[in-house]
Amino acid sequence: MPDGGAGQKFENPVTITIDGREIVAEQGDMLLQVALDNGIEIPHYCYHPKLSIDGSCRMCQVKTGAPKLAIACNTPVADGMEVDTQSEEVAKARRGVMELLLINHPLDCPICDQAGECYLQDYSYGYGRADARTTSPRRKGVKRHPIGPRVVFDQERCILCRRCVRFTSEISKTNELRVFGIGDHSHIGTAPDAPLDNDYSINTADICPVGALLSSDFHHKRRVWFLEETQTVCPSCSKGCNVKVGMFKNEIQRLVPRRNDEVNETWMCDHGRLHYAFAQDETRLRDAVVRGESSNGTVPVVPLDKALEDAAGRIKSTADEHGAAAVGILGSGALTNEELYQLAAFARAVGTPNVDVPVPTGEADGFLIQAEKVANARGAREMGVVPGDGGKDASGILAGAAAGDIKLLYVVDARSLLAASDAEAVQAALDGGATLILQDANVSELTDKAAVLLPGQVWVEKDGTFTNHEGRVQRIRRAMTPAEGSYCDGGIFTRLSALLAGTDPSAARFDARATLAEIAEKIDGYAGMTFERLGSLGVKLGDAAPAPAPAEPESEEGSAPAEPA
Amino acid sequence: MAVRVVKVDREGLAKAAGPLSARAIATGLSITARHFFRNLWGWIVGKPTIATVMYPEEDVVKPPAFRGMPVLVEMDNGKERCVACGLCEWACPVDCISITPDETEDAIERYPQVFDIDMGRCMYCGLCEEACPEEAIVMSDRVEIAAFSRAATLWHKDDLLVPVDRLARRLEYVRRGYER
Repeated sequence: MPDGGAGQKFENPVTITIDGREIVAEQGDMLLQVALDNGIEIPHYCYHPKLSIDGSCRMCQVKTGAPKLAIACNTPVADGMEVDTQSEEVAKARRGVMELLLINHPLDCPICDQAGECYLQDYSYGYGRADARTTSPRRKGVKRHPIGPRVVFDQERCILCRRCVRFTSEISKTNELRVFGIGDHSHIGTAPDAPLDNDYSINTADICPVGALLSSDFHHKRRVWFLEETQTVCPSCSKGCNVKVGMFKNEIQRLVPRRNDEVNETWMCDHGRLHYAFAQDETRLRDAVVRGESSNGTVPVVPLDKALEDAAGRIKSTADEHGAAAVGILGSGALTNEELYQLAAFARAVGTPNVDVPVPTGEADGFLIQAEKVANARGAREMGVVPGDGGKDASGILAGAAAGDIKLLYVVDARSLLAASDAEAVQAALDGGATLILQDANVSELTDKAAVLLPGQVWVEKDGTFTNHEGRVQRIRRAMTPAEGSYCDGGIFTRLSALLAGTDPSAARFDARATLAEIAEKIDGYAGMTFERLGSLGVKLGDAAPAPAPAEPESEEGSAPAEPA
Repeated sequence: MAVRVVKVDREGLAKAAGPLSARAIATGLSITARHFFRNLWGWIVGKPTIATVMYPEEDVVKPPAFRGMPVLVEMDNGKERCVACGLCEWACPVDCISITPDETEDAIERYPQVFDIDMGRCMYCGLCEEACPEEAIVMSDRVEIAAFSRAATLWHKDDLLVPVDRLARRLEYVRRGYER
């Protein structure tokens, strides 16, 4: 079988010529997608690789040898086809389409959030004409209409490409959006009492090629060209949707999905997209606290290293006095694989079998939203953060604390513990008189009850990997600079392990890369995994194993073809 | 202003003056005296011809092309014309502008909640004015902006607003210059 340009094999290969360049493609594939896959730009609005073909914008017209120009998005390639995307005839058609699309466009780019990533802007520069020939007033429409609780609609900017309509009928399958009216009166709208309110509604703002549909959360927040975007993974459930985090001055401005056909295609749920404030709001814990008998009423802030020493001392004395099994460790599925590996090592250093990760669960919808509401529950199991021989699980540890068997509770991430366990069990465990050492990034009901509080970090401040629900190991990258002097959760575990072993904690720095190398050596399925091998799209457990494939460069868009947002 | 080049025969003048240059001194003093009495007379009759500007009591009228510190245009309703599009912030080569956009219920839905210019950094290049699609930021004739602290070199929106009619000459010049 002949080899395609991108290395893929074809069942029924055909050879076509685009602008004099010979291209091998699969018979029946659409010309536009073939051109895009081969790095040939054909402007388009209504075509989206994950939606059905609409053919309404007419922007992708090319010359194929047919009597009239054909729209590339709906023209199957055939053997010997000769395509011209550059001739004057094509350019003239594009100019005409651009002029018609812009007849009623309000040109309010200075106040439009889409400016900077707008296909109308880009194609206007690339293929349009500089001036407007119309003199009649532009059509007025509804502006900043809340078409749903999380999406703002601007009718004047809409070019009626119907991507959003197709999204609600084909992807979210909720059918809220429809084209109402005919001809010049056509407009996108919702039925009365049926706003655009589904779990995936903000994706319509992503796929909108212009500024007609916008995310309410990002509305008038920041110009997109000021955002520093980092490729990472959504932390809100075990699906592990690939996202880009847009940062400005070390603050998250928005999360947008990036394409990974194996995981989230190009979508993400609204909950995951809007669940980032915890990384930067006033609930973040920044100070280490050690509460003794003498510190009534005040919050005794101490240096983190001091608090680590104190925590290690308490763990040691509890283990000496009551046996190591009197220590219960509750980890978190919000940690990276590397940190969980160090957590398992820390538990071994303590010597307790009572280790578990309480995983908060919720509803799954069979599409993207998974039942496990933390990113790395699977990773915790793979890394061995599970009860040891005769050890207690999460509820057993809480019950043990309530009964007085567990004398010291080491809790990471109280919010997931509280979400995963019933409140009474947690309350009973606290009432049992066990010392609480809490390692957490955010304020919770447990914060004030901790004898030692160790400030942790959140996913966006870490480098590392997550293992999603189906065992796909994906890279997360640091986008936010952590507070000075803080350690990531893995660093806290390595230092505590060193303190327990009596070695110098300052030498026990946490290195995600080195830890992943250790994981690759010791844990089944992770063999061969390095940050480079994972690339931007991740690798499934076991797939990196045998002969290491050639290193995949960490490209801007991964190996997925370029695709309109 | 056109430049006129005058050729001066310095050697000839020196020769004519002679070794003691008494004549040159007399010539010079006579010129000084002439201007002194002319100005004195002008001052008496109320039409001084003197070129000196009595700064800071007086100020020169700067030409519209003059680039002083950038200011924000204040419309007749007392609000800024700026819509916080961020183009000046982007164009600024020294990053002295920082804007935080926000939404209002006005007809123009977007406005700068915060508009700060760090005049300790500004280099008076005028690129912000050139980038602005709304004629909302212009270079004024204001130059007296020295301050005693770094904090005082940071100008906030309320201090930057200047009524539109006081900027008419510059706005006219900008429209002409950028062929708007």
